Amino acid sequence: MSEFLARNRLILLAYAGMVLLLLVTAVFSPGFLSASNLRSTVVLAAFVGIVALGQTFVIIGGGIDLSVPWVLNCAAIIMTLLCGGQDLPLAWVAPLVLAGGAGIGLINGVGVAKFGVPPIIMTLATNVILQGLILVVTGGSPTPPAPGLIKFLSVGRIGPFPVIALIWLLLTVAATILLSKAPFGRHLYALGTSVTVAEFSGVPTARTTILTYVISGLTAAFAGILLTGYSGQAYLGMGDAYLFTSIAAVAIGGASILGGSGHYLGTVAGAMVLTILTGLLPALNLSSGALLVVYGAVILITVSLGSEAFAGLARLLRSSAHKGEA
Amino acid sequence: MDLVVAKGLSKRYGGIVALSEATFSAHAGEVHALLGENGAGKSTFIQILSGAVRHDAGTLKVDGADYRPTDPDDAQARGIAAVFQELSLIPDLTVEQNIWFRREPRTLLRTVDRAQLRRRTREMLDRYEFPPLRPDVELRRLTLAERQIVEIAKGLAKDPRVLILDEATSALPAREAEWLLGLTRRLASEGRLVIFISHRMAEVRAIADRLTIFRNGRTVAAHEAGGVSDAEIVTQMIGRNLDRLYPDRVATATERVALRVTNFSSGRLDGASFSLREGEVLGVGGLQGHGQRELFQALFGASPATGTVELWGKPVAITSPRAALTGPDGIALVPEDRRGQGLLLTKSVRENLTLAVIRRFTERGLLSSRKEAELVREMVDFLRIKAQTPDQLAGTLSGGNQQKVIFGKMLLTQARVLLLFDPTRGVDVGTKGEIFQLMRDLAAKGYAILFHSSDMPELVHVADRVMVLRNGRVAAILEGEKISEESILGAAMLEGEAA
Repeated sequence: MSEFLARNRLILLAYAGMVLLLLVTAVFSPGFLSASNLRSTVVLAAFVGIVALGQTFVIIGGGIDLSVPWVLNCAAIIMTLLCGGQDLPLAWVAPLVLAGGAGIGLINGVGVAKFGVPPIIMTLATNVILQGLILVVTGGSPTPPAPGLIKFLSVGRIGPFPVIALIWLLLTVAATILLSKAPFGRHLYALGTSVTVAEFSGVPTARTTILTYVISGLTAAFAGILLTGYSGQAYLGMGDAYLFTSIAAVAIGGASILGGSGHYLGTVAGAMVLTILTGLLPALNLSSGALLVVYGAVILITVSLGSEAFAGLARLLRSSAHKGEA
Repeated sequence: MDLVVAKGLSKRYGGIVALSEATFSAHAGEVHALLGENGAGKSTFIQILSGAVRHDAGTLKVDGADYRPTDPDDAQARGIAAVFQELSLIPDLTVEQNIWFRREPRTLLRTVDRAQLRRRTREMLDRYEFPPLRPDVELRRLTLAERQIVEIAKGLAKDPRVLILDEATSALPAREAEWLLGLTRRLASEGRLVIFISHRMAEVRAIADRLTIFRNGRTVAAHEAGGVSDAEIVTQMIGRNLDRLYPDRVATATERVALRVTNFSSGRLDGASFSLREGEVLGVGGLQGHGQRELFQALFGASPATGTVELWGKPVAITSPRAALTGPDGIALVPEDRRGQGLLLTKSVRENLTLAVIRRFTERGLLSSRKEAELVREMVDFLRIKAQTPDQLAGTLSGGNQQKVIFGKMLLTQARVLLLFDPTRGVDVGTKGEIFQLMRDLAAKGYAILFHSSDMPELVHVADRVMVLRNGRVAAILEGEKISEESILGAAMLEGEAA
């Protein structure tokens, strides 16, 4: 058991932070712990969590996916345009849009794994290209409303549970199986720890890398489809917030941004922490500018705790103390 | 009183013990030689002394006061300077600029006082009768030997009380080496301590007053130079159990060819042809950089190559390590760089052992921890890997046990042709013996082993045959009685002795 604690220290830390943050928020804003408020927090966290699922795989593998905002945005816009507010077309539109997201991931992955393009450049370029393409296609005009079924999936309830929370739970189980119980997971952690060692151990490094980006494209597109149900329609820029939050959720969840460690279970806590934080800050009566400053600073500190940056700072302090003695 | 005293000095790098409770003492006015094989701990010791690395445990005293330098500048402030093998000079600066680098004499305006710089340089070069050297020439225009001399001048310019010379003669021609030996005696007579590392016994004999012998990260003895014979020194350097280090060489090779390589080229490797039989250990020797590394990497599919390769009679095209490791006709590599190529240091012994064959432990696509744990336990027992649990992180194991984990990973694949590139490097003597025994046992089971070692005696004592590479080609294949250090070196260096 203590072995388990030691190994998953950072993940448990993320959950502890989540609980702490919940309690603090409850103090500042007494209505926060109500069932309806908790429900809406989970719904908002689910969007972050779903985008961050693919991001988790990519980051564990030693990469990063900066193309999620516009993969998400494109998926949302294309889905609403093709459905025209009707449920029936979803039967072919949803698979098509998801395949499109996976396709973008495939392009990212092949660029990184086969052509050696640095992940930051590759996915940033894809992001910009998608942004441009969608502007050309839509001309910036508003889209039809989201189909009713999508609205049900993102804001509907089954009994006391939000539907999207159940979807998130299923995805969490699937991601956990992939990471902990499938050979793919072993290959992924090896790849993120050392590409050379993985290669020399017969790990299919290129295939594994490509697969992480495909998963990320899929989850970003899926989140885009669902998000239209929450906001009622698709609009330009709806994915922008998810670039930072998807990466921050992974980092808060205890993964090393350099790859090789972390787990989606940690990311889930990370997504919750970020969402609770956005709920807490308005309760503090800060101006919207100050809000962003605090939000950014809190994330920076949270991510630094227990990370390499923090260890580096501690080392620096120790060594300067050492010099002081001499 | 002793000028430099070390007690219980230790340094670890992760699981690798570089220096373990070393003791040392030397006084002003002596030339003190450090002796030991590569990796014995001499380098680590002088790196600690010169402030390049910091020790983990033990005490170090200079002039009776505690000494724990934070960096080389700190060490110099205490009067300790080192001249290393890796040169620290800047190619675009002149000789004098290099010698006084960061300690240049200044004018009132804080610019470099060129006249003073020149005068000081001349003074020092004259005083110690340096070989002819022009102070105003840029370093890039000097030969390697001349640069080594500038390096020595730079060390001397700091007017140190302790000067460390790390194989300083190895880059020098005979006359300059002779001058350096005279210089060390003179520095000692001026009351300085010279710590002198050399692999040349004659030099040590010529100048050392005392000597300290290192082996496997420990100091095994310190002697007055006059009171010990060459033979005693060598015995202490390599350890007493030399005869028991190597297992009996039982011929287990069959007639069946496991690996046949024809006209194989990759990088420096230039058309090598040979065959390796079932049950055989074929040594690969020669001077470093004559294609050994390329041969092993290319056979494993880690770098591209031309030529033909047959495994167990079938021609194969190995385009990646993954392809190499697949199937019963596979070929496995224990790579040169244990930490960079062989092992996931931050992952467990278990994860490392099963990485190459993880798909074998699945039931309906999911991992079966029970099956995996069983095989891991068997392999840990078989190789006697000393780990507290299979979940211990590989990076926290000793060097020898790390190497065993890599062996285990490769043995779990079905490959029966093994490529071992310097498998005993940085491994303690005890584990070395185990690895040699393992190689013989595997050969007896029908494995075919291609074995490179940078340590020639290992080739002589372990391999059934030794193939010597020269300029990327097979210069000779030595067998039976003909295998000796002399014959390997001869084939490696001399022309006209083709196989």
